[in-house]
Amino acid sequence: MNKRWIMGLLLMFIVGLLAACAEEAAPAEAEAEEETAAFPEEPINVIVAYDAGGGTDTTARTLQPFLEEELGVPVNVVNQPGGSGWVGWTNIANAEPDGQTIGYLNSPNVASGLVNPTLEREVDLSDFETLANHVADPGAIAIRTDDERFSNFEELVEYAKENELTTTATGVAGDDHLVTLKLNDRLGTKFRAVQFEGTAESRAAFLGGHVDVLVTSVGEAYSMDEGGQLDVVAVTAEERSPFLPDTPTVGELGFDPIIQQSTRGLVAPVGIDPEKLEVLKAALENAIQNEEHQTKMTEIGTQVQYADAEEYRQLLEQDLEDVEGLKELLGW
Amino acid sequence: MDTFGLLMEGFAIALSWDNLLYALIGVSVGMLVGILPGLGPSAGTALLIPLTFGMDPTSAIVMLAAIFYGSMYGGTITTVLVNVPGEAASVITGLDGYPMAQQGRAGVALGISAIGSFIGGVVAIIGVVLVAPMMVKFALSFGPPEFFALILFGLTMVVGLAGKSVIRGMIAVLIGLLLAMYGMAPSSGVVRYSFGITHLIDGFNFVTIAMGLFGLSEILIGMEQQLKNPIKPPAVKGMFPSRKEWKPSAASIGRGTVLGFFMGLIPGTSSVVPALMSYSMEKRLAKDPSRFGKGAIEGVAGPETANNSFTGGALIPLFLLGIPSSATMAVLMGAFILHGLQPGPTLFIQHSDFVWAVLASMFIGNAMLLFMNLPMAGMWAKIASVPFKLLFPIIIAVSIVGTYSISNSLWDVGGLLFFGLVGYLFKKADIPVAPIALTFILGVMMEEALLQTLAIYKGSFLPIFTRPLAGTLMAMSVIALSLSIYAGFKNKKDNLADSEA
Repeated sequence: MNKRWIMGLLLMFIVGLLAACAEEAAPAEAEAEEETAAFPEEPINVIVAYDAGGGTDTTARTLQPFLEEELGVPVNVVNQPGGSGWVGWTNIANAEPDGQTIGYLNSPNVASGLVNPTLEREVDLSDFETLANHVADPGAIAIRTDDERFSNFEELVEYAKENELTTTATGVAGDDHLVTLKLNDRLGTKFRAVQFEGTAESRAAFLGGHVDVLVTSVGEAYSMDEGGQLDVVAVTAEERSPFLPDTPTVGELGFDPIIQQSTRGLVAPVGIDPEKLEVLKAALENAIQNEEHQTKMTEIGTQVQYADAEEYRQLLEQDLEDVEGLKELLGW
Repeated sequence: MDTFGLLMEGFAIALSWDNLLYALIGVSVGMLVGILPGLGPSAGTALLIPLTFGMDPTSAIVMLAAIFYGSMYGGTITTVLVNVPGEAASVITGLDGYPMAQQGRAGVALGISAIGSFIGGVVAIIGVVLVAPMMVKFALSFGPPEFFALILFGLTMVVGLAGKSVIRGMIAVLIGLLLAMYGMAPSSGVVRYSFGITHLIDGFNFVTIAMGLFGLSEILIGMEQQLKNPIKPPAVKGMFPSRKEWKPSAASIGRGTVLGFFMGLIPGTSSVVPALMSYSMEKRLAKDPSRFGKGAIEGVAGPETANNSFTGGALIPLFLLGIPSSATMAVLMGAFILHGLQPGPTLFIQHSDFVWAVLASMFIGNAMLLFMNLPMAGMWAKIASVPFKLLFPIIIAVSIVGTYSISNSLWDVGGLLFFGLVGYLFKKADIPVAPIALTFILGVMMEEALLQTLAIYKGSFLPIFTRPLAGTLMAMSVIALSLSIYAGFKNKKDNLADSEA
């Protein structure tokens, strides 16, 4: 009697597992046979290569309802974290090119992964079809309000040309790290980057006086600047950030302009039917440009910066070129 | 007086009907999230944030915070009953909590956890209320050298968990450190031991390691035993600690509270550090340390309390500096910002009604959890007496679903099975698995802190010894090690004397 019970349970369990696996494969095949009469008819999956609750996840979930409105089908945000983003990104590139699966790329993270010689990845930039850029967060260089050695960016650069100073970074060849490397490369400063697990840790080390300069992004720094906890002395963008209207850009101060930002944009696997691609691109453009969406993003401290597919591709290629150029400083 | 007045105003807001309801929903959801392994508190909180968009900010944070501390209670239940720890700190609770459940004392273990968690949580919140502003300096004085010394001190505590054989303990520690090395190196970006597998670029996931080594291996051992020599599940014996257990438990709870609170102040500390320190402190202070690992009540009471007061203490860096001390805290902070509340020194001034209402609601939420858990501990404990034949498949199924949910892929399920098998073999070989899981976590943190120290001080190790806080911690590590070596010699002598007699 008991044995049958267990066998039954086990069977049910196995059948359940199999069904779950089959479910993933089946609709894709069916879709391929049908022609693109009215795309999309089925839910669109948006792969996010980071955990639920992270920055990219929040970005995706804020866009989700607006994209649903444009496409007329449900949009699912699917978190596939792991491998510093490469698990999710590889899955986007390897997805069935039927337009049902798209996802977010994060740059320069993806660019540094492509350049890193020890990172054995299966995909390349050419495996992605760019759709649109969604948000951009420029780099922010901040000093402590009570630092007696320098009080603005010019003084900081002067000081750092003569003396070694430490800066924070969150990931090798990540956006923060690249800011430091570009400053050293173009302005001749002697900054030494110290790697931290994330912004929370780097901020704590900076406020505690263990590291001299905080290099982070505008989105992470602007409210602390307003609160007077730190002083953002320059941003690494072409134009001033709407979140920090009084903070100059590096170029504005008469230096070699340094442009470094982190972007999150949408891509699809290559090989999608051009008509479907157009549908996706148009829907994304409308959703991203939607005013209500932009207001929501501003509320959470994220700057929407729409770029169309072509511009977004150039942006990614530029990031890749930048990291390639800094290979020597990275020791790669 | 001023603070007291503000807190009373906070209670007035927190005790309104809707906020009470939200706190209740929060703790209940949190309990559920905690009970189901895999979907951790950070993901659970993150997924519910969109539900709070339409809510008043105070109610939203009351509910989300309740999910967070509710999940702590829930996690204890799974750990004690079936030895499937969902997060790092639970590993410690399982050391004595699970043996207690095997002896039919699951109710007692859960009861004392609920009481300890309540006291730890509430006292820590009182601490936040009273001393918050003064503590900021202490929190920030922890730089990379201090972190390194703190984690090294934590590692010396792991020695205490090694069990009977030092060599087996060393094997476990080294395996843990080896596992910690997988993935991208913190300062150079070099990918280590990935063997071209994308999933390994970031190294292993703690949840798969812990659920495999503890949960699945335990089931495999249990199945083997059932086939050989079926035993009945333990009958549930009572809910309350015996009279002679009250006093040591109370002392453990007191020590755990203080320890956890101060650890919570230091941003970037994992909750496993206070739990581990509390456990080894209890073991050292106990009259008969050999009871530990076999169901000593202090081994559950201390760490569980420390874990919860850590959470309370961690509110100080979150509120005052905007620095979250864990992934879940980071999600909570995201919710703050979403609702227009920027954590930082100005939060207490600009939104003082909000801060005090949330703090007051934490008193209430913790009290709710205590009243939900004490009577329910008996009900939960009955799960431990479900026949193994029914219990095992359910645990396996839940574990598999839980690990699948980490990254929506079968990779982590494979990891669970692999580490389950490894854990089974190790248990057969008498190699303790707890040090593996703990050094895995601490190893990653230690490497990072060391490399940061070297980067800041141009390759010099000296600051680790010469900076006052770091130096003190290093000295404590040396003392702790010498003590255990001395104790080891003494034990050996005693054992020899015994065998000769």
